[in-house]
Amino acid sequence: MTKLNRRFLLQGGVSLAGASLVAGVARLGRAADAGLTLYNGQHRATTEALVAAFTKSTGIQVTMRNAESPELAAQIAEEGARSPADLFFSEQSPPIASLQEKGLLGQIDPATLKLIPAKFSAKDGTWIGASVRTRVITYNKKMVAPADLPKSIMDFGTAALNGKFGYVKQDGFQEQVMSIVHIKGRDAALAWLKGLKQYGRSYNGNRIASTAVENGEIAMALSNNYYWYSLAKEKGAENLNSALYSFPGDDAGNIFNVSAAGMLKSSRNQAAAQRFLAFMLSQAGQEAMIATTAEYPVLAGLTSPYGLPPLTNVTAPVSPADMGSAADAYGLEREAGLI
Amino acid sequence: MTRGPQALPPSWLVMASLIPFVLVALPIGYVIVQGWQAGVGGILQNLIRPYTLNLLLNTLTIAVSVTVLAGLIAIAAAWGTERCDLPGRRWWRLAVALPLAIPAYVSSFAWSSLGPWFQEIQGAILILTFYSVPLVYLPVVAALRSLDPNFEDVARSLGHGRWRTFRRVVLPQIAPALGGSALLVAAHMLAEFGALSFLRVETFTTAIFDQYTAEFNNQAAALLSGVLMLICLPVAFAEARMRTRRRVARIGRGSARALVPIALGPLMPLAILGFVLLTILSFGVPIVTLGFWVWQGHSAGQGIERVLPALATTLGYALPGAVLTTIAAVPLVIATTHFRGRFAMLCDRLPYIVHGLPGIVVALAAVATAIGFLPAVYQTSGLVLLVYLVLFLPLAQSSVRASAELVPRELSDVARSLGKTPFQAFVLTILPNLLPGIGAALALTALQLMRELTATLLLAPAGVVTLATEFWNYTSDRAYGAAAPFAATLVLVSGIPVYVFTMRTLRLNDVR
Repeated sequence: MTKLNRRFLLQGGVSLAGASLVAGVARLGRAADAGLTLYNGQHRATTEALVAAFTKSTGIQVTMRNAESPELAAQIAEEGARSPADLFFSEQSPPIASLQEKGLLGQIDPATLKLIPAKFSAKDGTWIGASVRTRVITYNKKMVAPADLPKSIMDFGTAALNGKFGYVKQDGFQEQVMSIVHIKGRDAALAWLKGLKQYGRSYNGNRIASTAVENGEIAMALSNNYYWYSLAKEKGAENLNSALYSFPGDDAGNIFNVSAAGMLKSSRNQAAAQRFLAFMLSQAGQEAMIATTAEYPVLAGLTSPYGLPPLTNVTAPVSPADMGSAADAYGLEREAGLI
Repeated sequence: MTRGPQALPPSWLVMASLIPFVLVALPIGYVIVQGWQAGVGGILQNLIRPYTLNLLLNTLTIAVSVTVLAGLIAIAAAWGTERCDLPGRRWWRLAVALPLAIPAYVSSFAWSSLGPWFQEIQGAILILTFYSVPLVYLPVVAALRSLDPNFEDVARSLGHGRWRTFRRVVLPQIAPALGGSALLVAAHMLAEFGALSFLRVETFTTAIFDQYTAEFNNQAAALLSGVLMLICLPVAFAEARMRTRRRVARIGRGSARALVPIALGPLMPLAILGFVLLTILSFGVPIVTLGFWVWQGHSAGQGIERVLPALATTLGYALPGAVLTTIAAVPLVIATTHFRGRFAMLCDRLPYIVHGLPGIVVALAAVATAIGFLPAVYQTSGLVLLVYLVLFLPLAQSSVRASAELVPRELSDVARSLGKTPFQAFVLTILPNLLPGIGAALALTALQLMRELTATLLLAPAGVVTLATEFWNYTSDRAYGAAAPFAATLVLVSGIPVYVFTMRTLRLNDVR
């Protein structure tokens, strides 16, 4: 390399470095403080539709931060009282319930809470359910006949289903464990978890597990209903090898999961935040959400455009309000050696 | 080349090394404080269980197997393209380096969809090995090209066979490049999460994510992170030992003659088959899968208008991030290669330990620090760039070091004797000689920063959208058709730094 080349490279490098740094520093300015800040863990398209409808109706701007719900909950827990967030919209209720237990959530207007059944919101009125899904079994139609499907969630902890099912220790799994604890007791839940570990296959994600069922790698998986619907949307429902199943009667395996939202106690814009929460449960808010994801509305009298079976077909003995942050499930899973 | 440890580094160098040192120490402090809150009883209860043992076993199996396999394949490939009469060597070199452009989570998704076998630990090892080969291959090629063939001639003339010559003469000379890059791969494997999230293998990193996702248990997560840091410790220091043990010296570049390539003869078809297979497995399979998504997915075309803005933002973060990271790496590298000492050594090693931590841990440490001490910078682009620096410093260090080791410190003494200040002397004499390494460092860090997800999601100003965040957004909704263009753009744009990095690394030690 000649000297000239080196000098050229040096000058080039230094000016590139300078330019990039200036560009970086120029971006240092923070987003405008006006309006609401929403930490969003729910499907982005769903929340975007909701926010657009809200802004159109009220003129209030909403800035979204998107990530996985548990990561956002961990982030808010670290931020504490200085959190820039006014609102948190979680894909599941336990992450937001964990913030409730840390005392970081504010009270929601009683008028808003009254709009939906009490079982879909926090007992102390700090978060509301925004949409409902059902906990289901995804099964491969070529591998299991509908008549041979297990009659209870408890069957999955037995040798009879050895090697036939997959499970995922996230998104709805903790609620599953808590439901069994409520109905069958702690010992039964522990035995069930041990059976799961012995006879089932653990997957690192619900999407991967339901794809495995679809591809015939495993016959069944414990899952939530919307994973199947998003696959149906991508591939076309008529092309799928897999289908959904709920247990008959009020089995402990039938659960309603809710996506849930709440306001942070530290919010400096509480009036607007309350309006947002009320809007979520209004007809316009609910319609915006159910148009973009295969979930049930929490508000009575609306129907999902995704052709979901009526929610009344399923009986769930334990409600999201009973689950809390599902932290007790943690101890049981540890005892069973699952985590 | 270098003097004993008695020489003291100039004060500007000490100050400049302290900044990255403090930044990198923050996540370590965070892990210790959080983990300590679990109490000694809690620590033992949490850690000494069959479950943790199983994680340890999986984590180590993956890290060791991937490192060893990638090392072997890389040496064989490097030997093939540099020393044998393989036709089209120029192209094979690029072909072996090309998979660098594909993020691990993309190739993992491709492979895992082929069947359950690939989702188990053997699949994880296979996927990550093919992903890691270029990271070892390029430094080894660069080292091979810088060798003085006279050493080998001497060995052969003393009656050593080809294999013995390789083992006793070539291998010791390429050992620093091989060891350095292999251990970087090992540290990287300890922190790998994206690729494993598609598989059924549990490691410390997936367990740390489980702690956050299932239990909201920051303390238990910190404990597991602490164990991960302990595993990284020997890795980080072994890499340094590997380099300081080097005792190959020569004056000048020698009168390198043109090497006569070894005739492969009847082995030729086998060698070509090997290279074709390597290219198909590491590059072909993921690329075909990407194409398949676009063709098959109903969501294809959604969000397509966001591709260009996302690309602009991706570059807007990755380029300044790469520049900042490289600038921080230079003093660290100079402090250790030209002035050894315990503190310099520690400054130099710490980033490797943090490199083995999952992004979520480093990001949460940044949240806690910024909220606690500097709320004004919280969720600004500046903070994101600093976290990038913490996450990817070792990549820049290893590239810069390759250049720094070739520069005698005495060069700056000459400038000093002519009345220049230590800093001027550095800029005039050492820095110009570091440029090839700096170029490689910029390319490699820019490449990794373009894929960064966790820190960008949690810390960037709200509403910031990059190619990686869009890809995540659509795949988490299973809209693979919509996700594919973002992944494809990422791969295409990554091609540029990959090309630059490949060319820089190849030319770095070129004697021809």
